[in-house]
Amino acid sequence: MQEQKAATLATIFSEVLADLAFMFTDDEDFSEVDSSDPWLETKIGYRGAKNGDLIFRCTRSFTKLLASNLLGVDQDQASDEQANDAAKEFMNIVCGQLVTAMHGTDDVYNLTIPAIERMKTSPDLSLDDGDYASTISVENHSVQLVYSPTE
Amino acid sequence: MSRSVLIVDDSATIRQMVKKVMDIAGLNVDEIFEASNGIEALAQLADHEVAVVVVDINMPTMNGIQFLQRMKGNEKLQHIPIVIASTEGSTARIEQMKEFGAVAYIRKPFQPEQLRDALMPLLGVKENAGTKSGNSGDDFF
Repeated sequence: MQEQKAATLATIFSEVLADLAFMFTDDEDFSEVDSSDPWLETKIGYRGAKNGDLIFRCTRSFTKLLASNLLGVDQDQASDEQANDAAKEFMNIVCGQLVTAMHGTDDVYNLTIPAIERMKTSPDLSLDDGDYASTISVENHSVQLVYSPTE
Repeated sequence: MSRSVLIVDDSATIRQMVKKVMDIAGLNVDEIFEASNGIEALAQLADHEVAVVVVDINMPTMNGIQFLQRMKGNEKLQHIPIVIASTEGSTARIEQMKEFGAVAYIRKPFQPEQLRDALMPLLGVKENAGTKSGNSGDDFF
């Protein structure tokens, strides 16, 4: 069941990434982390008949790549503000899709306002602590999604 | 008749994407106004006449639901067509938006054609070679 939810999460993540930003997941597993590239954590949740939280961890360079694809600008032209906004909106959409995939369309859920902050350390990309975690490689960037149902 | 559009979304990225779609689609809007929440949107509507409002639901300060309620309760604003562009997919939420006066609902991530097809009739734009419609009708109530 847990693996099934992690797979659903990974599928939604990949589909939103492709539909929204024309970015695609890689087959290779990139487990090495560039320590000079700061990691960011974007959080969002949903509240309703059931509750859940989503965390998206990625590097600053990934958020800039995301912003550049969304805005149609060069990656080095995307500001930190634009990159943060892109990451938050991306998670807003992923969360909305996840809610209906997990819980259907009958009940109303309120999404929290996404928040982003810099991580103090690089994440553990082999996370397995009972949450529904999925680490994926996207265009040579490792990114991680963690889903925590809090029913 | 005004052919201006108000985009209400807390994401500057989405506002930029919506503006780009309108530009590429050749909708020939007069002006595009922006707001990052319902409060800012009401201020924009107090200052400008607009033909259509494109609004998100999940926003800080005043969300899209509260904003629609305020518009519906205002005689000067209740006639303005509202297009919802949101990530939410609840059928109950969509019905609620319809009751509050929304005329179309587009779920994020949307394709440019979906937004274009929702806005064209509201802006009085007829389909031509430059604005070929691909709408299946699913985005309209």
